[in-house]
Amino acid sequence: MKRRSLIAAAAIAFGLIAANPAIAEDITLEFTVWNYSLDTIQDNARKFEEANPGIKVKITDYTWQDYHDSLVLRFRGGTPTDIAYVGQDWLPAWAAAGFLAPLDAAAPADVLDDLKKDIAGFSLSDMTYKGKLYGLPYYADTISFIYNKKVLADAGIAVPQTWDEVMAAAEKLKASGMEHPIVYEFDQELPNFFDAFVSQVYGRGGDLFDSEQKAIFDNPDNAAYKQLDWLVQAFKKDLVQQETHESKIIPSMNTGKHAFTVVFNYVLAAMNNAAEQPLAGQFALAPMPGEAHAALGFTKFYAVTAQAAKDPARAEAAWKFVNFMAGKPYTVAKRWAVEKGLGFGQVPLFDDPDVQAAWNKWIDSATLKQQVATARGGVWTEWTSAWTAYFRPLLAKAMVGEASVDEVMRAGAQRWNELREKMAKQ
Amino acid sequence: MRRPRHSFLTIIGALLILMFTAGPIALAFLGSVIPDRVMFASDRGLFDEVTLENYRFIFTGELPPAYQQTGANRTMISDAARQAPRSLWNSAQISLAALAINLLLGTPAAFIYARYTFPGKKASFMFLILSPLVPAVALITPIYMMIQALGLVGSKLAIVLTHATRALPFTVLILSVFFRKMPQELFDAAVIDGCSRLQLLWRVAIPLALAPMAATGLFAFMLSYSEFMFAHVLSGEAGSRPVSVVMAALARNPDVSWSLLNTGIFIAILPTLALVVIVWRYVLADLVRGGLKE
Amino acid sequence: MWRTSRFPALWLLPALVPVIALTIFPIVQALWTSLHQVMLLFPGEDWVGLDNYRNVITGEYFGVALKNSLLFTLFSAPLVVVIGTATALFLNREFGGVAVLRSIVLLPWVLPGAISAVLWVWIFHPSWGVINSLLRRLELIDRSIPWLSNPDLAFLSVAVAHVWTQLPFTIVLVMAALSTLNKEVMEAAELDGATSAQRFAHIVFPHIKAILVVLLIYNALTAFTTYDIVYAMTGGGPGTATTLLSFQIWKESFSMYDFGAGSAVAFIVVAISALLIVAITKALPSDLFADA
Repeated sequence: MKRRSLIAAAAIAFGLIAANPAIAEDITLEFTVWNYSLDTIQDNARKFEEANPGIKVKITDYTWQDYHDSLVLRFRGGTPTDIAYVGQDWLPAWAAAGFLAPLDAAAPADVLDDLKKDIAGFSLSDMTYKGKLYGLPYYADTISFIYNKKVLADAGIAVPQTWDEVMAAAEKLKASGMEHPIVYEFDQELPNFFDAFVSQVYGRGGDLFDSEQKAIFDNPDNAAYKQLDWLVQAFKKDLVQQETHESKIIPSMNTGKHAFTVVFNYVLAAMNNAAEQPLAGQFALAPMPGEAHAALGFTKFYAVTAQAAKDPARAEAAWKFVNFMAGKPYTVAKRWAVEKGLGFGQVPLFDDPDVQAAWNKWIDSATLKQQVATARGGVWTEWTSAWTAYFRPLLAKAMVGEASVDEVMRAGAQRWNELREKMAKQ
Repeated sequence: MRRPRHSFLTIIGALLILMFTAGPIALAFLGSVIPDRVMFASDRGLFDEVTLENYRFIFTGELPPAYQQTGANRTMISDAARQAPRSLWNSAQISLAALAINLLLGTPAAFIYARYTFPGKKASFMFLILSPLVPAVALITPIYMMIQALGLVGSKLAIVLTHATRALPFTVLILSVFFRKMPQELFDAAVIDGCSRLQLLWRVAIPLALAPMAATGLFAFMLSYSEFMFAHVLSGEAGSRPVSVVMAALARNPDVSWSLLNTGIFIAILPTLALVVIVWRYVLADLVRGGLKE
Repeated sequence: MWRTSRFPALWLLPALVPVIALTIFPIVQALWTSLHQVMLLFPGEDWVGLDNYRNVITGEYFGVALKNSLLFTLFSAPLVVVIGTATALFLNREFGGVAVLRSIVLLPWVLPGAISAVLWVWIFHPSWGVINSLLRRLELIDRSIPWLSNPDLAFLSVAVAHVWTQLPFTIVLVMAALSTLNKEVMEAAELDGATSAQRFAHIVFPHIKAILVVLLIYNALTAFTTYDIVYAMTGGGPGTATTLLSFQIWKESFSMYDFGAGSAVAFIVVAISALLIVAITKALPSDLFADA
């Protein structure tokens, strides 16, 4: 009797081990990110693993500067990749090239519809290609106009409302001894070099493309044409200090030798960080100058790759992960907002008391809410990303006076329209 | 050797060399012990608050005191900086392996090219020296795909292989220049003593070429140590990455202050510097001994 | 020099095989790509002959990138070799503190390129960079010089940073070559009353010439194909001021999704590099390939 029960117990134990799917078929998701706050990403992934036994997450990170190209290499090389951070400007090309899969391949339609209701308008369009949703927001923000309150108050200058007023304020500051009142993020190889320009154009209430996605900025009356001209003037009058990266804008603004900059909102959180920065607390957000005060809203999001979507089990795990990171109850998105000051596409977080308490320390919520409400998405096509790679150095060339605004705008518009036609012929 | 009438020029020369080569790194050291809030504040003296808090943070994870004050956002400092010591160890493994492969495979080849003629010599030598002509960036996609096919993407071995291979042509070329300079009589005498080809290399050539070999090995090591592109696309998870990749990431991290970045840089380069200096001293000692006689 | 009638495979193949594996196959692959339309946005890989080459050469950035790359090479490669050799000769003498200085010159070597770029951006920074701060303190300037934002200065600045990173290797190799110099010959020449210039011209230079040619080739190749420091410092700008040909390979391929065009630039770079090597070896004949 004893011996028999022992054998039975052993048999059951063996059976359990053999049948335990967690041991037999663990899924390891390959997740690629750019390395902003990698420790937080890893911590979030660990929490996901704890909540979802049987699924592991392996994170590979690249720098923001190298991320896009590294991912293209990964996709072309067929390196296993299941979930990736994706920028709104890359989505159409990557989706068209078959790198990414729409979320409905893995996610239940009703859950998606429910999530969509909470997502800001520009953010939703950023993540949609050919009518299908390709991701959920990791980080959605505006590129905003930031100024030094104390510098303006000391000089008796009101917060500028239009670009002409910015110019006048900068010239006044320069006349009273400030060498470069404006700090400008100037790395022509970064996508945000173009995005920041678009945001300024939106401030003026302009558009770079018409409703048929034709380039219209080669017209001198176009707001983009005017804004480039404005930048050229500002550079020519030596009002601008170039910084290669946002990480250098932070200390630069904190020298108190500059008044204005145009940058992502979360950089404001770093500028106002009392532990590192001597002038923390002096920096504030103002509505983007220009008649419309609109700004470019953009979204970086979690997308599932086409590779992952092929395998139903993997696709399901990938969707679980995306939903954990960006879906309800928005725990992870909230964490990014509270701890790092990252913007979000999930609108209900605006009313979250923890987010409000954290953000009030470094940004004026009312101004921010208004800026986000007026934010507009960009025009992202299959060729946008390739085109901006061509156009960014031209923009830079005009700014430093090596080419005329007219030359640059015409060359840019011509190239855009060529690519557009070539794509239409497909 | 010392000539007093040159001493003024010598001092000027030494100062120029010192400033140009060491200046930027001295600045990095300063940056690592002066917090940003002092460095960038126009109303504070540079040395008002010299501190090692960033070094402590990297080794122990203890937050700098300023982060423990109220009002400061404690999460706005990145743990990524703490990867610096680990990345150094990874780099040591990768670069030493690349060095070993280069000397192991490169020395015999260089010796043969320097002291023998044989059919196929010219063609194979030309191939070897001309192969680095093709810019690495042009080959990155095919090489990546090869390594992907071998299943090695994300491993240190992949980085070792590409680094060792990129350096090999130069190793062979440089060593062959040195082997060629050796006097033929030494080898003739050894042959009369009945030395085989391997013994010629092992007993005659290598002992005479230890200093150049050390210098060449240093070259292979450093080529690997500072290479970024292959290391970047081939490296795997954060914990297994070499210094160049980790440092490039730190330099672009908005949650890493200037002083924290400099601290990372310093921790990462000091042991390497020590190693390089030791090898270099050895090469120099050989110089003092009089080196080779022609 | 001994003769053997057979190819010493056992001695050479271990070195040749890895180089062949990581060179020949990728080159063939890249050559194939350069003759086909390989674009992310337009599927199909059609044979297009030399179209990619034509498109690249007539494109917006080719001319200026070629000019910049050649200037960059012509400027920095000789500069590295000349400064490196001068420094090595200087350090080959004996004076107080020379031992320390011999180690200090290796410092730029231990910094990966990406980090060197960060340090140099900081040094050249208009408002808190050390160069402008010094100049201001010495009252040589009253307004900051935009080292990296002025197109001409930017080119000079990135070249200086590049030279800085390349110096140690040149110093090390020249000093290693000097170590094989026969001291007795030098002392005899000194006793005969040869000036230091004569000794350099007749004894030292012939002795280190081969290694100098190797170094010149190495530095020319490095300068012509490198871009990491330049791009970390300026992104190729402002505008096209520091746009280099080798970066266009990357940019055409990965940013513009045109891998055919990227490979075409690569082979143009290869052709020019080969010309550079031939030019250097012709201009400075040495026994480098004499018996090869």
